[in-house]
Amino acid sequence: MSITIRHLGKRYGERVALRDVNLEVCDGELVCLLGPSGCGKSTLLNIVAGLLDPSGGDVLIDGESVVRTHPKYRGIGMVFQDYALYPHMSVEENVMFPLRVGEHRVARREALVRARRFMRLTGIEDLARLRPGSLSGGQQQRVAVARALVQEPRVLLLDEPLSNLDARLRLSIREEIRRIVKATRVTTVFVTHDQEEALSIGDRIAVMDRGVIQQFAAPQDLYLDPANLFVARFMGSPVLNTFCLSYDGGRRVLAGDDFSVPLGVLDVSRFRRPVGEAESVLAAGGCVLGVRPEHFHLVGGSDGLADAGADRFPVVFGTLVESVEMIGRYAVVHFTADDERCRCVVDVRRAPRAGDRVLVGLDCVSVHVFDADGGRLY
Amino acid sequence: MAGGVRGWLARVGSYSAERQPRAWLLLLPALACIGVFNVLPLVRVFVMAFQSGSLRHLRFAGWSNFVAVLADPSFVRALVNTGVFACVTVPVGLVVSLMLAVAVDSRMRGSRVFEALLFVPYLTSVVAVGVVFRYLFNGDFGVVDYVLSLVGLGPFDFLNDPRLSMVTLCVFGVWLSLAFNIVILLSGLRAIDPLLYRVADLYGASAWERFSRITLPQLAPMITFLSIMDLINAFKVYTEVYVLFNGMPGVADSAVTAVFYVYDKFYVQGRYGQGMAAAVVLFALILVFTLLQSLLVRRLSR
Repeated sequence: MSITIRHLGKRYGERVALRDVNLEVCDGELVCLLGPSGCGKSTLLNIVAGLLDPSGGDVLIDGESVVRTHPKYRGIGMVFQDYALYPHMSVEENVMFPLRVGEHRVARREALVRARRFMRLTGIEDLARLRPGSLSGGQQQRVAVARALVQEPRVLLLDEPLSNLDARLRLSIREEIRRIVKATRVTTVFVTHDQEEALSIGDRIAVMDRGVIQQFAAPQDLYLDPANLFVARFMGSPVLNTFCLSYDGGRRVLAGDDFSVPLGVLDVSRFRRPVGEAESVLAAGGCVLGVRPEHFHLVGGSDGLADAGADRFPVVFGTLVESVEMIGRYAVVHFTADDERCRCVVDVRRAPRAGDRVLVGLDCVSVHVFDADGGRLY
Repeated sequence: MAGGVRGWLARVGSYSAERQPRAWLLLLPALACIGVFNVLPLVRVFVMAFQSGSLRHLRFAGWSNFVAVLADPSFVRALVNTGVFACVTVPVGLVVSLMLAVAVDSRMRGSRVFEALLFVPYLTSVVAVGVVFRYLFNGDFGVVDYVLSLVGLGPFDFLNDPRLSMVTLCVFGVWLSLAFNIVILLSGLRAIDPLLYRVADLYGASAWERFSRITLPQLAPMITFLSIMDLINAFKVYTEVYVLFNGMPGVADSAVTAVFYVYDKFYVQGRYGQGMAAAVVLFALILVFTLLQSLLVRRLSR
């Protein structure tokens, strides 16, 4: 059951919530809508569900337009952020609810059999007689998923379903959701603002900002090959380091105060446009250099890091370590370069201390270069 | 003994996060008033129920007051009338106010205005409302009678026909109970998470299913509270009778109620003991009914 979204727009008065959104979700695929709050991802989900009307464009489920179809005929199951379970009903009654109301209501006995099947799938059979109020967040989440699936919908929509759970539970429930969704082979759209969640659960991810889909790609492509500055900044933790550099056409270098990157050291095949064209864009508006925290390497410092091989990197500069943040396997080192606060990750056993002077080498081949509008050049 | 007082004073003076006996000092004035004006008279009611004679010369009379009261056909009628009033006005009042509350709560233009209008009766004196109702129900020029005559009913003399006085009283009682019920029910309706209805919409629940499967169960605590409050108030019905029938318990005592009977015995006839015995019987009945009701509600809500 595929979902096709064509030129979808939504405006609230003057405010544009969605602008010309196009998306194709294949049968059985799990797609994440990812973006900061207010980016329009929930609006998009609610339009697909039929809880909001689009201002323009079309939504097709299985090739059939549904924008003028009542939600109940769309074959949709939905999980809301705060679950919206009925507090006065038992878990069993909650799961049975979609089967017991509306025109297609089935007999209690039949509904119970079907509800039990999905309660088994989500592992909540033992809670059948309890009220939602006496369940933990994770258990309530499972009830909500079971209720959304009990009608065997063509499409399952999840609206930030994990944001009310604590960190540890979130990890296990998201694996659980992926397992359940894949077991039922239901086409799923999952809305989240947590990139880690999206990366781990989604077959493909649509990154949204200001009502526009910035990039729709597989998780690894979003990280390794971002379409623009927004996506590059949004994906990855610690966040991408960015530097506004000017372009010196005579020396063919991206020039900054503390370091400069000669165009010659970049990999020509990685340019998004012919190099000559890219150079004229650079000359016109300068650029934003994006460096992932793992592409800075500490190559020398006060405590014998010097043998790390500064000569391996074409660009090396010295700086002062401001602070070091322990994450676990690795540490995040904070320093300032070119008036920007930078973060780089290092092995925790080789982490410097705050106040140390270090040499930083830049893995030039792996950087990203964006034009002044945030479009990707390299 | 003196040490005990000193110890107590020391404890009162010193600080403790969880025990602050000083609070009793602050409560004392209120407690004194409640004791003198509420608790003491309550005790006196039970004592006087077993006494007879004038207020200055009361003497023990055993169960004779109860025997006299329970044998009085007027008291039996008062109890029956009170029971009928309670059994009619409480459910009817709740159903009507629930319908009005749901109507006002729906996204209707100007629902705030209606809400304010519906609450006005609660702010108005029962006596003033009673005067208006006397006009509305008047047999000669009353609006109610006129409207009924338009659909071919009547004529009815609501205030002077003994067969109709209980009907009139019940209508008045229902109307009076609406305002408070609606305000409480509206607050309950507004507390329901709108998302619950969205989910129901998603699965195509009909309007009746939304009401019966979400609204009603969500309002259950409010309805329980109101039914108990309304029942107690209904058993205490007095002012309504007084104002509607101009200080009389209806023509030929047709609308006499329990409290009216107590009042009549005490102030009009001067049979203090019998009045108090009737009050004790009424107390016992209200107690039994309220207990039964809360048991019933507890069983239903399970």
